[in-house]
Amino acid sequence: MKYIEFKLNGENVQYEGSAKDRLLDILRETYRLTGVKCGCKEGECGACSVIIDGRLANSCMIAMGSIHGSDVMTIEGFSNTERFKVIDKAYGDVSAVQCGFCIPGMVLATECILAVTPHPTEEEIRRGISGNLCRCTGYNSIVKAIGIAAKEGEGLW
Amino acid sequence: MVKLNNGYVPETLEEALSIMRDEKVKPYSGGTDLMLEVGEGASYLFLNKIAELKIIKSDSDYIRIGAQCTFTEIEESDVAPRILKDAMSQLAGPAVRNFGTIGGNIGNGSAKADSALILFVTDSLIRLKSASSERTIYIKDFYKQRKQLDLRDGELIVEVLIPKKYLENYYYKKIGARKALAITRVGFAGLLQEENGVITHVATAFGAIEPIIVRHPEIDEMFIGKTISEARGIKDNYLNLYENAINPSAGRVSKEYRKTVCMNLLKDFLNENGI
Repeated sequence: MKYIEFKLNGENVQYEGSAKDRLLDILRETYRLTGVKCGCKEGECGACSVIIDGRLANSCMIAMGSIHGSDVMTIEGFSNTERFKVIDKAYGDVSAVQCGFCIPGMVLATECILAVTPHPTEEEIRRGISGNLCRCTGYNSIVKAIGIAAKEGEGLW
Repeated sequence: MVKLNNGYVPETLEEALSIMRDEKVKPYSGGTDLMLEVGEGASYLFLNKIAELKIIKSDSDYIRIGAQCTFTEIEESDVAPRILKDAMSQLAGPAVRNFGTIGGNIGNGSAKADSALILFVTDSLIRLKSASSERTIYIKDFYKQRKQLDLRDGELIVEVLIPKKYLENYYYKKIGARKALAITRVGFAGLLQEENGVITHVATAFGAIEPIIVRHPEIDEMFIGKTISEARGIKDNYLNLYENAINPSAGRVSKEYRKTVCMNLLKDFLNENGI
């Protein structure tokens, strides 16, 4: 029997529990990465978003065994990057954050949009965050912030 | 192959099929449906690392899509047909599309599965494999009842085969409560091929309205061999037959709503083709 080996925010880790455990629960409870939020636990809200092997993922829909050998990044790991600083400032500048619950997921969705499309259209931005629900802002300021991040972070993506 | 606590991670299809033969396991593809269930019972057989199940290719007759291809991979593929890419681009949201797979979507056995609708309208085939056998069957024969599939012990869905004929002129619409993250209330796909002014192929499929995706080739046949203007002449008859043949069940929305939407979509499909 082998432990589940994966990379978490850049560090190699081994998980000794069940392969059927839910990534969301393990990130929050075992690794204490509480920037990963639990909203719906059914893949409908995006609050638990993480990036797995470069792709946006709902960590509530991922069993631990499926990430054996994968690279997982949460908002805690992403917040150490230059790209984060640009996104952070852009969200702040246009008041794209109200209660904040959806924001870790929104920020990671932003990273996934810009990583693929450094100069996104408004439609591409809206499509990129379409799996992340925000109940406060009405989305317009978030969309605006992502557009600003793309401009201000020219060359980073 | 890696054995974990409550799980197996095979690297090849052969390894996966041996485990299917020898152990009681639950195949795990993307997890986007499976993780809604409480995780008690059998160990998971993680299929997401098997490279040979992630290939999209084309041969002389079929576009062949490996069961472990995610919706995003299909959407990004240059080989996958437009009708399927179109449907996949409207399924759930980016994170679900990044992990959900076509094999998992079919294997879930739901008539709401957006990829299955496309496989029905295109008369696609499903290749099933176990450690000791292999067979390829039409998707319409694979779905027996709601959540009941013609899947034998030890078998895995390994590939879908989409016939290359008739794919070009398609119609697809998904009706849900919102643009993204929407469970299909009515899904409709139609194909119509014309050669030298004569209709040579018509196929329609309705998803999410009955326990299995609905096809009525016996009604669609009446347009075969007709010109568009001849088809226009028998359109009312065609619509009447569908009106009687479709019998939606109530779910999140009423039967009447579903029926009206089905007929509107069917009319719109004909209309777009000049009928």
